[in-house]
Amino acid sequence: MPYTNEEIATLVRDDCVHKSVYTDPELFQLEMDRIYGHAWIYVGHESQVPKVGDYHTTRIGDQDVIMVRSADQKVHVLYNRCPHKGAQLVGDADGNVGRFFRCPYHAWTFNLDGSHLAAPMRSGFEGTNFDIRDPDFAMRPVARVESYRGFVFANQAAQGPSLEEFLGGVRSSIDNLCDRSPVGEVEVAGGVFKVWQPSNWKVFYENLHDTMHARVTHESSYASARQQAESIGHMPLELHIMEGNGEPYTFWEKLDLCAYDHGHGYMEGIFNPGAIETDPVSRAHFESLVAVHGRERALEILGVNRHNTIIYGSGSPHTVFQQFRVIRPVAVDLTRIEIQVFRLKGAPDAVFQRGLMYANLINSPSSNVMPDDIEVYHRCQLGNMTRGGDWVSQHRYHGTDKTIPGGMVSVNGTSELPMRNQFKAWKQYMLGQV
Amino acid sequence: MLFDIDFDVATDSVKPVNTPMETWHQVQQFIFHEARLLDERRWQEWLDLWTDDGMYWIPQEHGQTSPYDHISLCWENKILREMRIRTLTNERNWAQQPVTHSSRVIGNVMIDGTDSEGYLVVRSAFHLTESRKDETRYVAGSYIHKLASTDGGWRIRLKQVNLVNCDGTHKSIQAHI
Repeated sequence: MPYTNEEIATLVRDDCVHKSVYTDPELFQLEMDRIYGHAWIYVGHESQVPKVGDYHTTRIGDQDVIMVRSADQKVHVLYNRCPHKGAQLVGDADGNVGRFFRCPYHAWTFNLDGSHLAAPMRSGFEGTNFDIRDPDFAMRPVARVESYRGFVFANQAAQGPSLEEFLGGVRSSIDNLCDRSPVGEVEVAGGVFKVWQPSNWKVFYENLHDTMHARVTHESSYASARQQAESIGHMPLELHIMEGNGEPYTFWEKLDLCAYDHGHGYMEGIFNPGAIETDPVSRAHFESLVAVHGRERALEILGVNRHNTIIYGSGSPHTVFQQFRVIRPVAVDLTRIEIQVFRLKGAPDAVFQRGLMYANLINSPSSNVMPDDIEVYHRCQLGNMTRGGDWVSQHRYHGTDKTIPGGMVSVNGTSELPMRNQFKAWKQYMLGQV
Repeated sequence: MLFDIDFDVATDSVKPVNTPMETWHQVQQFIFHEARLLDERRWQEWLDLWTDDGMYWIPQEHGQTSPYDHISLCWENKILREMRIRTLTNERNWAQQPVTHSSRVIGNVMIDGTDSEGYLVVRSAFHLTESRKDETRYVAGSYIHKLASTDGGWRIRLKQVNLVNCDGTHKSIQAHI
C-alpha cells in the first residue's frame, strides 16, 4: 500500500525515527525518487575524465549515469541508455568512447553531449515520426549539472536550489581540501576502493558523526594498536590512526559537530597527522604552501582540522587525508561505498602517500577497523527486522543544539544532533518540501 | 615506514635457476605449510615464517607494479601483520563472532628464479573458501612468494596475493589470505 505524506511524516519524530525507514523496500523506492531525484548528488571529479571522450560511470540513486567530457571541454552527465532499444551505451566503469557514443546493438551514434548523431540506413525512417532533433531519439542528460572546484554534481530535478546553495556550510570542506594543494587543485589518483555494506545507506551517514560508538565498536582494533605500539616502543602514524578510536568519552565530548541544511555537516578533526614542527611530511607540505601563499595563509589552511564531512546523499569527504567516501544505495539492505583518494597537485609526494596509507588502513575492505562497523550496521539491519520494538533513539543532547548561520552546532561532541539533522532533511525530501 | 622503504616488489625479471628436485619439494612443502597454518589459525607460527623486513601485499589493480603510487588491499609490514593478528584474536572483535573458517588448495607451484637481491621467486595458484555464519565466500588467485634462505629454513620476504577480483567490490577481508 503506498505511503501518504501524513504517514511518512509520522515516521520521523524530533528525537527518534521509526525503524521501517531502514527496512521497508517501499520507502527505499520512494527515497530514490524523492531524495536522489531532487538532491545534488556527487557524480565524480573532473580529473576522472581529463580528455575528450573520457567517461566515468556511476549511479545517482537507482539510475546508471555517465559523466563524459565533450570536445568543448564541458563535462556532461547522461543516463546510460540508448533511446533505440534501451541498451546501456557503455559497460565499463571508466574509459574513452572516442569522438562519439556508439551503441553496441544497432550502431546508433550520439555526440558527447548526448545529442543524436546518426542511425544506420536512414531511408528506413522516411515517412515515420523518427526525428533526430526530437529528444526522444537522443541520450537523455540529467536535468542539471554543476561543478564546484572540480567536484561534479548532478541533479535530476530541473528546479531547486543551486549547487552552492545546496552545499551551504560544507562548501568550506571542499574548499579546504582543494586549498591544501599549493595550486588549489586536486585530482583523483591511486585507484578507488569499493566495499559492500549489507545494510541501509542511512546507517553509514549516521555513523560518520557518531562519536559514542568509537571506543565500543572499535575496541578490538584500538586495543590491538596500543598493544602493538607498546611492544615496539613507539606509536607510528599507521598505529595512531587506529588507536585514536580509543580516546575516552571526555575527548569526544569536546569536539564540535556542525549540522547544516539538507542533512550535511562536519566534525572537528580527531587525528593530528603530525604537527608541522615535528612531522617531516606535514613540514614539507607546510613549506610548499608557504612558498605560494606565505606563512599566515599556509597556517590558516592547515589549521582547518576536520574529520568526516557529510554531504548528504553523496558521501563523506575527508580533508586532512584527502579522500571522498562515496555512498551509493543499492537496495534497502545493501550499500556500496567507493573510496576515492586525491592527489594535492603541487604538494610533496609524501602527502599523497600518506593519503594512500590512510585509505589502505582505514577504508580498504581489509581494514582492521571497518569490519566491526560493517558488522554492527548489519546487526542493526537484522535487529530492526524483528518485532522487538519500533523506534530508533536519537535522544542524546536533544533540545540543546545551538543555532549557527545555515544550521546548528552541538553543545557536546557526543550529541546525536547529526542524526536528527539528517532525518530533518530526510523528512523534508520525502514530503516534497525541497 | 610503509612508504619510505625501498622495497623491491618486482617479480617479473628473474634470473632462471636450476633447482634440484629436493629444493623444489622443500619449497612446495613450505608453501603448503604456510597455507595450513592460516587455515588452522596458528597465527604465531605463521608470523614466525617471515623475515623481519618482510612485506605482505595484496594489489588492488590487475598488473599493479607498485604499492607506492596506488592503493593496496594490504601493504603490511611486521608491525601491521602482528596488529592484524592481535585484532583477529581480540575477544571484543565483533566481526569475528563467530570466527571466519577457511580452507585453501594450492597448486601449480613453480620456481621462477631469483630476483635482483637473490630471493627465490615462487608462483602458485590458490583457491580459498571462507565461511562465517551462513555465508561462504570463494576467493581465487595467485601467490607470489619471495623466499629467503636462512639457517632456520625458508622465510617469507614478500607474499604477493593477486586476486582474480582485486579491483571488484568486496565485503570485509579480515584474515590474511
